[in-house]
Amino acid sequence: MANPREKFSKIYDKYIDKIYRFVFLKVSSQEIAEDLTSEVFLKTWRFFKEKGQEIENIQAFLYRTARNLVTDHYRQKGRIRIVSINNPLIIDPRQDLERDSELNSDIEVIKMVMSDLKDDYQNVLIMHYLDDLSIDEISELLGKTNGATRVLVHRALKSLKKALKDKVEEV
Amino acid sequence: MTETQIIKKIKKLKAIKPRSDWVLLNKRQILGEERRIEIFPFLRPVYAGLFCLLFLVGLFEFSQESLPGDSLYYLKKITEKSQIIFSSEEEKPRIKLELVNKRLEELDQIVQENEVRKLASALKEYRASVSEVDNKNLIRAMTTTSDWMIVKEIIKNEEQLQTEYGVVLGEVSKEESGFIPLREQVKQEVERSIEDLKERSLNEEDRALLEEAKEYYEEGDYNKAWEKISDLSQKRVLTE
Repeated sequence: MANPREKFSKIYDKYIDKIYRFVFLKVSSQEIAEDLTSEVFLKTWRFFKEKGQEIENIQAFLYRTARNLVTDHYRQKGRIRIVSINNPLIIDPRQDLERDSELNSDIEVIKMVMSDLKDDYQNVLIMHYLDDLSIDEISELLGKTNGATRVLVHRALKSLKKALKDKVEEV
Repeated sequence: MTETQIIKKIKKLKAIKPRSDWVLLNKRQILGEERRIEIFPFLRPVYAGLFCLLFLVGLFEFSQESLPGDSLYYLKKITEKSQIIFSSEEEKPRIKLELVNKRLEELDQIVQENEVRKLASALKEYRASVSEVDNKNLIRAMTTTSDWMIVKEIIKNEEQLQTEYGVVLGEVSKEESGFIPLREQVKQEVERSIEDLKERSLNEEDRALLEEAKEYYEEGDYNKAWEKISDLSQKRVLTE
């Protein structure tokens, strides 16, 4: 049986991209996203070492920790959420340059629009469409019923659609 | 824009990835550092103490190879001084003689390696070590077989340094006036003994031994001269 370090090493490899992306989309700064993501895994590792058996759903635990840390980050000194379009995005290097440029532009727009949405909407959109979490998993994570989560995802998508439309009209 | 198109757009955000070097470094920091801390954290002061102790032991050990004029030489002297302090009164003269020999070995090394810069310090250390051996202890050593072996070794080394390398062991500066190399002290003792034995009534065999001692003395071989005197004295003690 693998020891806790080996087990956590696999967990880290599996979730680091997702958690980083989840945090990055909320703070829009590579530096802050790295700091907060690092803290998420450090806290989880400390808890995992002592009470690893008690964590039933490690994915839910990581997202919950990430959400709390992002909330704390904004709470401290009353930080305002600012979306910068100058932050470099780390994109899969296999894409060619033309596609990169198009992709970057799309990403910037969607990132900017999403950051204006309600926190709950952002969370469900990221979890469901980006991180491929099922409605069941999101329900458990948010402490909501499946029905309520489905409604939340639907409303979030509708809200994003409207925000994108507004953005296009604005341009 | 349809929902499917929007979902497609959201999925494009999957291209956002952390820097691969950061991912590795962060993992190492989280798991690696924790590994160090997690092993018996309450023993950390003990580890630190043990580390300091090992470091000091290593330093003292390393200093034993140092030569006069080296920065670690004072540690070597501390070790030797403690050796004298913690030894019994009976052992002290022998340890002091061994130290004289050690100083001569250092001098020899310095001369062979042509470390001119260290020569003055080495001579000073050697003279100081000889001054520690008083006349009473020297005579005692000369009459004890095991200690006499050390004295013989010292005389041999002194001779070698003086004749082969031209090191002037006995040249004294004002503040060190009164210093006499050990070979010279043995010579004086041999001389005194020969003079003393001349005054005594000796049988033929004893006189022959005394003659041999005198010959060795005149040749400058004080070791052998002293050994003849010792043989003679021993015989006299036995017959008396």
